[in-house]
Amino acid sequence: MTGFALPIPVIETDRLVLRGPVESDFDAHAAFMASDRARFVGGPQDRATSWRGFCGSIGHWALRGYGMWIVTLRGDARPLGRVGLINHLGWDEPELGWHVYEDAEGKGIAHEAALAARAYGAAHYGLDGVISYIDPGNARSQALATRLGAEVERDGEVMGHPCQVWRHPKQGAI
Amino acid sequence: MTATGLTLPLDIPTVETDRLILRGPQPGDFEPLAAFFADEARSWGFGGPMERNGAWRWFAGNIGHWALHGYGFWTVEAKDGGQIIGIVGLWNPEGWPEPELGWVMFAGSEGKGLAFEAAAAARAHAYGPMGFTTLTSNIFPGNARSVELAERLGAWHETDFENVSHGIEMRYRHPAPETLAAATKTEGAA
Repeated sequence: MTGFALPIPVIETDRLVLRGPVESDFDAHAAFMASDRARFVGGPQDRATSWRGFCGSIGHWALRGYGMWIVTLRGDARPLGRVGLINHLGWDEPELGWHVYEDAEGKGIAHEAALAARAYGAAHYGLDGVISYIDPGNARSQALATRLGAEVERDGEVMGHPCQVWRHPKQGAI
Repeated sequence: MTATGLTLPLDIPTVETDRLILRGPQPGDFEPLAAFFADEARSWGFGGPMERNGAWRWFAGNIGHWALHGYGFWTVEAKDGGQIIGIVGLWNPEGWPEPELGWVMFAGSEGKGLAFEAAAAARAHAYGPMGFTTLTSNIFPGNARSVELAERLGAWHETDFENVSHGIEMRYRHPAPETLAAATKTEGAA
């Protein structure tokens, strides 16, 4: 038995870079998690709590071999949000998740990032046709899921929260 | 879409003592950790009890802590038999006033001086290769076993403070590196 590694790939799209988290991303993440915008992803929460979540998402890469990337524009290291594949203990199966910070919304960034993460997961992690957990009241995420070709499969719950389980199409079907 | 490789540094050193190996977390460490967190009598002084999903988050978070800070909790393994007997390490999450030395022994591993051996080794590694110049240990009031160990390590009750996650805790201050080095020298001369 050996220890863990953190093999986080960097993915580039037309406009974006998806990369592993670094310490300087934390302030933007904490500000998002403290805001009402985080109400569908476990927030709002205080800085100490969001730091633990931030660390946990790094460790997730070690434990699962995949995880959440930080999304930036090409040529600009500032974090704009996160996208990736989440499968904490207690999840039914791996999900594609996304959230963008306030000033990055409305530019198609989440869509572009989610497409890239989904394709990468299918090609490299064998995660094809994944789910997304979406709060029934999260209209923006529902709209993005629809734009991504996903459909509501069933009502479910995650971490005790009722939510919709959306199913993404397999890569070959897109 | 193009992808290039990147690996966050996760260089977790291994520290050896007479009876123990302090090493980075491995997949098989989760079950004993989850059992510890499920045991309220044992884990209340360490943020427990915690259900299994929460323990998994903690396990993942510790790896992230190592990646961000370059230190964290080691798994403590017995050289004889390879049993995982606890965790010991250096902890400094957001909101902590300063880094602390922490320790936890799993069921059945107490009373043999193993916690002392592990904590002393972790502290020596912190003061040596890692370059720490001071260390604290935060202990819940009423955690007599931890107080006893802190005092055996030469630490003293410096103050009480409000921990951002846990409420009021006692802060113990460890002797400085040079104080410990001088003490070791004196012992050697005696």
